[in-house]
Amino acid sequence: MTSIKEKVMSRVFLLSALSTVLALALICLFLFINGIPAMAKIGAFSFMLGKEWSPSDTPPLFGILPMIAGSLYVTAGAIIIGVPIGILTAVFLSKSCPKKLYKFIKPGMDLLAGIPSVVLGFFGMAVIVPVFGESILSASIVLGIMILPTVTGISESAIRAVPQNYYEGAVALGAGHYRAVFKVILPAANSGVLAAVILGVGRAIGETMAVIMIAGNQARMPVSLFKGVRTLTANIALEMGYAAELHREALIATALVLFVFILVINLGFAALKKRIK
Amino acid sequence: MNKTVCLLPVIAALAAVFYGCSSASLASFDRAKDISVVSREDGSGTRIAFIGIFGIEAKSADGGRKDMSTKEAIIKKDTGVLMAAIAGNKYSIGYISLGALNDTIKAVQIEGASASAANIKNGSYPAARPFYIATKADASRLANDFISFILSLDGQAVVAKYYVDVDGSALAYSGGKASGKIVVGGSSSVSPVMEKLKEAYIKINPGATIEIQQSDSSSGLKGTIDGNFDIGMASREFKDSEKEKLIATLIAVDGIAIIVHKDNPVSSLTKEQVNAIYTGRISKWSCIHQ
Repeated sequence: MTSIKEKVMSRVFLLSALSTVLALALICLFLFINGIPAMAKIGAFSFMLGKEWSPSDTPPLFGILPMIAGSLYVTAGAIIIGVPIGILTAVFLSKSCPKKLYKFIKPGMDLLAGIPSVVLGFFGMAVIVPVFGESILSASIVLGIMILPTVTGISESAIRAVPQNYYEGAVALGAGHYRAVFKVILPAANSGVLAAVILGVGRAIGETMAVIMIAGNQARMPVSLFKGVRTLTANIALEMGYAAELHREALIATALVLFVFILVINLGFAALKKRIK
Repeated sequence: MNKTVCLLPVIAALAAVFYGCSSASLASFDRAKDISVVSREDGSGTRIAFIGIFGIEAKSADGGRKDMSTKEAIIKKDTGVLMAAIAGNKYSIGYISLGALNDTIKAVQIEGASASAANIKNGSYPAARPFYIATKADASRLANDFISFILSLDGQAVVAKYYVDVDGSALAYSGGKASGKIVVGGSSSVSPVMEKLKEAYIKINPGATIEIQQSDSSSGLKGTIDGNFDIGMASREFKDSEKEKLIATLIAVDGIAIIVHKDNPVSSLTKEQVNAIYTGRISKWSCIHQ
């Protein structure tokens, strides 16, 4: 009796585990089945490297290079703003934060991680856009804030994982506190910190709602930090509602490109994880 | 020190000269600022209507059509978000369907006429386009019954949810209840409201089958003349050759309001100015002469 129960339940657990893989497989299948023919119709070259996106024209133009560039610019901006702050926060939290203060900062970080992106988008619209306009800079600032908890959290645990005797050794050799932290501890934790950055990139590049609200969404090559830009995610979300036929397929192909980006980022993350072990 | 003081008025005068097309500025509105052009996403019906009415497209002889909107235009995903963006940026301009107007933003007059259903009905507001249906004189009983539904109070109530209604029969639909099948074809701008009308009609008259095929106004009218469609849909006036063979019935009017921030002193624009702003030929508010 127990053995039957055991067997049934183990199957249930197996099914649960498989559902994740199944969902991923279905998404892949959907993206490839719908995206590849569109890319073939438009021409992979003119799709990926075309600089003009005007799907309602006759004949239509489907070039997503502006959106690829847009995603890269905005993500790079988010990294430039979010990563230094995140790493320094992680160093502070793990090495010199008084316990009383830690009790405030840590839950604060966790809460920031849980704020829905649409709320951050509203914050950007109300506070950042009036200053910097709907621009790459505004989007970068908001995304920088958004990736802070990711970067901080993972960096902090990476720094904490460095054995205490590294620090003690450095101090014994005459290094000051911060010298020991920045010259010994942080380099020892570099794989973990890099993993934090990669996850941050993944979050920033995939963000949609907040970016649509503050980036301006112009489908042309980025011209200035203070001018708007359209990301891959924004392109899909903006136009999916009205798109039909080839336009719709082109949007799915855009999703496919984004998916490949995320895949590369995750492979990078997996490779790093291996190195840490 | 003295020199600096003397130079100040000179600098101020020079600055005034260099401002090109500047004119007196309101304290709260700096006319020298760039116009922040806000548009809708590609494929949006409002955008298509706007571009058609204001001629922001280039057509080539071989049937090609190119949207000439400035690529600098900020793109907003829906009417509500667009209105919030206009309300939040003093120097912005945008466009929405007439029905969505409210007092968070200001609608400018076009060619001297303010945006209202009354002005659209009397023809003085130019940012509007008619939605027509076309039938031949020997249309089927079901087609005629469907048309009488569209023009009835019930049908026009459906129209008024999305567009400006027209003065139809002003009577409730009595119901001829013809059965059978008709095909309605033509303008993709008219099809959405036609779908709604069809849904409402089928509820009253379940015996009828109405098939809607969307393409464009011209092929809708041609298809009706050729007998492929029982009812044609068009979002433009009829040409003389079409008028000879078809009966045109106005079923709705689509109005587009051009909106700006409430603090914007500009209260009236011409169609040409709107075109210039949206194609990027005018980029500063100071270039709009009142």
